[in-house]
Amino acid sequence: MPKALSAHSNISASPAFMQNLRDIAEITPLLVVLLGLFGGAVVLGVLQSFGYAPWFGINEFPTTEYYERLWLSSDFWVSLGLTLYYGFAATLIGLVLSVPLSIALSKKFKASRLFGALIRLPLMVPYTVGIALALVMLGNGGLLSRISAGLGLIDDPSQFVQILKTHWGCGIIAVYVWKQVPFMTLTLSAVLARKGEDTVEAAMVLGASSRQIFWRVTLPQIMPGIVSASLICFAFNIGAFEAPFILGGGYPDTLPVLAWRYFQDANYAFQLQGMAVVVSLALVSGVFLGAYLLGYRRWERARGRV
Amino acid sequence: MIGQTSKLCDLKAISPWQRLLVLAMATFTIAPFAPLIIQSLAFRWAWPNILPTVWWHEQRERSPFPLAWDYVFSPSSRVGEATLNTLGIGIAVTLLCLLICLPAARVLAQRNFRGKNQLEFLIALPLLLPEAAIGIALLMIFIALGLAGTYAGVIVVHLIPTIPYMVRMLTAVYQGHGTEAEDHARVLGANRRQIFFRVTLPMILPGVIAGCLFTFLVSTNLFLLTFFIGQGQIITLPTLLFAKISGGALDATGAGIALIASIPGIILLIFTDRFIRNYPLAE
Repeated sequence: MPKALSAHSNISASPAFMQNLRDIAEITPLLVVLLGLFGGAVVLGVLQSFGYAPWFGINEFPTTEYYERLWLSSDFWVSLGLTLYYGFAATLIGLVLSVPLSIALSKKFKASRLFGALIRLPLMVPYTVGIALALVMLGNGGLLSRISAGLGLIDDPSQFVQILKTHWGCGIIAVYVWKQVPFMTLTLSAVLARKGEDTVEAAMVLGASSRQIFWRVTLPQIMPGIVSASLICFAFNIGAFEAPFILGGGYPDTLPVLAWRYFQDANYAFQLQGMAVVVSLALVSGVFLGAYLLGYRRWERARGRV
Repeated sequence: MIGQTSKLCDLKAISPWQRLLVLAMATFTIAPFAPLIIQSLAFRWAWPNILPTVWWHEQRERSPFPLAWDYVFSPSSRVGEATLNTLGIGIAVTLLCLLICLPAARVLAQRNFRGKNQLEFLIALPLLLPEAAIGIALLMIFIALGLAGTYAGVIVVHLIPTIPYMVRMLTAVYQGHGTEAEDHARVLGANRRQIFFRVTLPMILPGVIAGCLFTFLVSTNLFLLTFFIGQGQIITLPTLLFAKISGGALDATGAGIALIASIPGIILLIFTDRFIRNYPLAE
């Protein structure tokens, strides 16, 4: 085979060069879309938040006025706290459910395929459907409220414990968990399937208890899946709009809803304020995700894996 | 020794706790759909009745069809328009995404070059930045370009959350196959087109189909970017449902629309079990 290839390479001037050119041509469309759309959005967003919006007749670049006004108001910090709280709580609950669930689903049992498919359903439907389900289950006139009435616990819808539209955000978190457990479980199942059962079997032969196997063998093995799934879900949760908008407790809203309200304002100048909200949100997200990844790297290094 | 063998046999068996967990999670997942279906078929369902006091079929002489579904299927609900939009945008996004990602995935899988890690990070970045931030920043650009509220604008913006998944899945597929078969074909004198259509494509087809299905799924379920960029002029099933329930209450027609919005996902779930089960998301 090397012979045939070298004979081929004698004909054209420089096949390696041609191949490189072809590689570049093949990767260019992706780069154009990513840099043009995504990079463009990031650059323009940051510029606007610093007061650059000539299309509204506003050009105070560079000014930190919008950030100052935002960061000095206590409501912003409440909003940020709520955003992070919903994001963290939902991701954490989702992980605590998905890790044992993915291990359970990797076992053999009757109708395992059916249950696997049933549990995957939320992954396939929009978040808005999840919100509709939360309304019909958890609302004051919802099914849980009706069941409590049937049990004689309450005798008026208003006596039912307020689950939706509070800053505790139980409804929001329930929707996130409902929608994301399948995603996390699927990610972890893929890692589990790739790792196989050999190491678990070995640990068992060597006399490890099932608790030891979980903490010392399985959990470290699926750690990369846990990290990537929780990163994606956390990033999504703090950027999500529809669940806090419908199920949240109203003012002060989470940051994406706050940004949206600024953008809906008739006064154009508020859009720059909204952009400052959006950039702050992206910064906070970046800081948390970066810290998480760094911590994970350090953990892996301590275990001698990297 | 015997005890250990039986313990090894148990390795693949499910424990009662795990069985309970699976059952509980399946209930948590599926059970909420029951009141949704009931509500869409109810004629009168007052608090605190667990089941409707009057079902639609008891009122057949007044309305031959469940009221909610009658409205859902009438043109004034715009459900038909939204369904067509959702499917059409999904198909367009999937094809465009495949066209962009397939060549790039080959390069990423088979080549080593400087800055490859940075490029891979850039590709994953849209998943890690808050969607609201991307959507609002892009809205400004799209308004300036005249793309806001157009099909083209919505299709292009759907590329942002779909590209990371598509590239990942296709790269994994290419990595799984190596380049030996292509090398053999080249040595035997096949040209580039022949190699791609006769050798590469048949090998990677299952992975390509899985990637397309997942992309289609992400696109049809996307709310936020459609809502921001579509400006209320492009209606899809998720945005229509949002408009219906944004007040915080769910009536019978809302329940019907929610069920309609679940149908594409349920169909995909039934037909794609095989393809989506082990998609390579975890890295």
